[in-house]
Amino acid sequence: MIKTDVAVIGGGPAGLAAALKASEKADVILLERGKELGGILPQCIHEGFGNFILKKNLTGPEYAQHYIDKIKKSNIVVKTGTNVLEINANKNIIATNSEDGIIDINAESIILAMGCREKTRSQILIPGTRPAGIYTAGTAQHLVNIDGVMPGNRIVILGSGDVGLIMARRLTLEGGKVEGVYEITSKPGGLTRNVVQCLYDYSIPLYLSHTVTNITGKKRVEGVTVAKVDKKMKPIKKTERFIPCDCLILAVGLIPENEISKQIDIIIDERTKGAIVNEKMETSISGIFACGNVVHVHDLVDDVTITAKKAGVNAARYVKEKPDIKEKIKVTAGDNVEYVVPQIINSRDLNSITLYFRVKREEKNVVVVILDGNNKILEKKERIVKPPEMLKITLSKETLIQIIQNELKINVWSENE
Amino acid sequence: MNDERIRKKIKKIIQKNKFENISYRIENNIVHLDGKVSSYNDFLKIGTIIGKERNIKGVANNIEYPNKKKIKKRKGTTTKIDIVDVLIIGGGVVGTSIARELSKYKLNIILAEKESDVACGTTKANNAIIHTGIGEKNGTLKQKLCVKGQHMFGKITDELNVTYKQNGMMIITTKDTLSKIKLPSFIKNFFSKRIIPIIILQRGKKLGIPINIVNKKELLKREPNITKKALVGIYSPTYGMTSPYHFTIALAENAIENGVKLMLNTEIIDILTKENKIESVVTPNGIIETKFVINAAGLYVDEVADMAGAKEYTIHPKKGATLIFDLKTGEYTNHSISMLRFPRTEHYKGGGILTTIDGNIQWGPTLLETPDKEDTTVSADEIENIFESYSPLLENFPTKSVITYFSGLRACTFTEDFIIKASKKIKGFIHVAGIQSPGLTAAPAIAEMVVDILKNEGLKLEKKSNFNPYQKKKIITKNLSNEEKNKLIEKNPQYGEIVCRCELITKGEIVNSIHSKIPALNIDAIKRRTRAGMGRCQSGFCLPKIAQILAQETDIPLEKILKNDKESNLFLGKAKCLLDDNYDKN
Repeated sequence: MIKTDVAVIGGGPAGLAAALKASEKADVILLERGKELGGILPQCIHEGFGNFILKKNLTGPEYAQHYIDKIKKSNIVVKTGTNVLEINANKNIIATNSEDGIIDINAESIILAMGCREKTRSQILIPGTRPAGIYTAGTAQHLVNIDGVMPGNRIVILGSGDVGLIMARRLTLEGGKVEGVYEITSKPGGLTRNVVQCLYDYSIPLYLSHTVTNITGKKRVEGVTVAKVDKKMKPIKKTERFIPCDCLILAVGLIPENEISKQIDIIIDERTKGAIVNEKMETSISGIFACGNVVHVHDLVDDVTITAKKAGVNAARYVKEKPDIKEKIKVTAGDNVEYVVPQIINSRDLNSITLYFRVKREEKNVVVVILDGNNKILEKKERIVKPPEMLKITLSKETLIQIIQNELKINVWSENE
Repeated sequence: MNDERIRKKIKKIIQKNKFENISYRIENNIVHLDGKVSSYNDFLKIGTIIGKERNIKGVANNIEYPNKKKIKKRKGTTTKIDIVDVLIIGGGVVGTSIARELSKYKLNIILAEKESDVACGTTKANNAIIHTGIGEKNGTLKQKLCVKGQHMFGKITDELNVTYKQNGMMIITTKDTLSKIKLPSFIKNFFSKRIIPIIILQRGKKLGIPINIVNKKELLKREPNITKKALVGIYSPTYGMTSPYHFTIALAENAIENGVKLMLNTEIIDILTKENKIESVVTPNGIIETKFVINAAGLYVDEVADMAGAKEYTIHPKKGATLIFDLKTGEYTNHSISMLRFPRTEHYKGGGILTTIDGNIQWGPTLLETPDKEDTTVSADEIENIFESYSPLLENFPTKSVITYFSGLRACTFTEDFIIKASKKIKGFIHVAGIQSPGLTAAPAIAEMVVDILKNEGLKLEKKSNFNPYQKKKIITKNLSNEEKNKLIEKNPQYGEIVCRCELITKGEIVNSIHSKIPALNIDAIKRRTRAGMGRCQSGFCLPKIAQILAQETDIPLEKILKNDKESNLFLGKAKCLLDDNYDKN
């Protein structure tokens, strides 16, 4: 049995930052299932990482290396190639790797940083055959950037999430022909900068309100059928057309990977699919923290790092002093808000608390209003809000003091209303 | 009934249904149909009506319809490559069962399979049920062999170290069981609640199949998520589950162990006869001499029989689609659940919410005629049909947690029952045709029956003294205790490296499958043996890793790794190939 103050599960951007921060005050063990640290970052060879917190425009591997170098200098115990098999509410962790066999860890505090996984073809129920040549965008990215093989040469991409957009450009640069990116909703699913830099700059067509209705091909993909969809997102039969291709890439969404969290009945938010957390990034189980994409899917790694640091600080603090829960302020999503994190505030004894949220639909000239019961405690104007772009609003000490009803609701209203 | 009387009957049927341009010929109670119709539906209609007539032993339906697939004739080489006593065609559960049964005797045997692995056809894509036989028509060969096979299943899976669980089937009637019948609802409910269970109970008694009637209160206790519309449960405790491909691979490996020669990638091109006796079989690699051919070619039995000049049946595939749900859904039911519906609708074959040996829940299968023997598509209609059929059975089921879906094809003949017999026309040709559900259950009994037939046909059978019925247990790391895992990892560190995170499959298990008796040389073959890639991410994370391991363990370059068959290349050349010294895109 290994005893430690803090155990961090996952060595991606969230786990790296959380472990580093926690190690300033506590003994830390970091468990990563991959052979090297960095999580998904090593395969993200495009740039756009670290603009905000490092003030540098780095690639994924560079961003990861920045933190890995620091980890190497720290006294964090790192175990790569290590999979967590079980955890329990007493903060025991059973993990396995090829060097140690079964590892039994007892931690005072645990930080969950397992990241997310991609939605598959089955989750969106695309009919047809099951040939070779159907990949999620992340898998395709791994194949091209890490394994050095082409997932296909003539490619259709379904879904305009960021990884899909980035792969459209990547495959084009590798000599592939991207026939088009098809998006079921009426707006792109990824960041605007990616739509411009990955599609428009390479003349790759983007078809909004379209979906794939069938996959053809027995051994290898031979083509897909695409169709326009109506307002209810149902395909319109007469708009169906066949596109010959040898590869279908799916960028249809990411889901926080909470299989381990579910083992100990951590309460999951149905909207984020991640754990419900408080302002300390603590889950419904005291002493178990969560950060990064396992909580909710972020657009920018910088935000992951910021919240992960918060989890790291608080996990280390928890080892020294188990805090009493003083109060319970609920934070809920109101008009045109898909979700908000944190969902609970247990202590407002802080300089500020930042709420992260996403809107349900795009809107121009809006005002973000935070209500405490019926009292408006904060408002902020936004020129444009879009579902792919995460929003933040910070509650200052002065604002936090105003809370009386302990029921915060965040609304995004049109300025005219 | 003689052929003359059948002829009169057929004449009547053809006149009554106004089938024009159809000619027919009757020989030994077999009806041979020729001519032309305007659609596949008409082709089916004629075959089905005639197939239902009593005393007709087979319908060879050679009628042409638009877009009928022409059977491609491949060329073989004429070099003689082998002489054997028995050649079995088809490496599905039936062919491998027969191979293993015959390997108990002093015989030279070849098992020829057209695909790159065994269990690649109907065997891999069914619902893995070991039936009791309660659902089969009385007096059929299917029923007899199903009941017998089910009794043999425990022993044979023990010997082969294959998982087989009798976790029971809860058949329910609900207020909708007789919804299509026009009768007052209190009468329908009375029938559904009181009469139907007793009829089934009686049937079970006759066949020796245990059946318990479970009242609603008890039913809700045993299946808390079951629909509140349920009236009564009819519980069949001996109903079982296995893994059809693990079973088939084990049968084949055990047969090899006992001397059978397995020839993969070996499609039969022709069967040569002399004076109505089997003489040899032509394969792409050469000619194999044999006096006995066993036709266990599944969906292709009709084409194989035709090669020998012994066609007595035509296969019209019926597709069945199934949805598989996340492993977590296993907790929603305690048994497989099926709902009775009368009359059975066109697309509703029964099926239900079924458990699997691995703990996932499956919904299905559907039933749909298709002219294409390779049509394993799952259409939007089929998916919708499954949700419509089975959603009413359970409450609060997380229907969004589908992780995959597949279709399999049933090798149906027009007479519907199994056809297992020696050809009267061609000496040495043994039919094992029309093996649809419950073929998996019946397979051990079919194998014994085939051995008896061979004996009657004059094959000398002498038991081997050194037959080894046992297969070693395969290592499944996740089923071991922590102490066992530690020991194993110490011996071989590859068992500590998890490759498939969803199903917790280690590198050790994957490497094992690659170097097993029937080597797994493509991704799907590894998947069938280890479960790697069968979880909720559907191989998104582990596919690149498995492909790398396969490339490292064999001399296949990474970019040539296949998903399953020839031409199912996972990757189309190298990326960053401009950086290569020897630039070659392919």
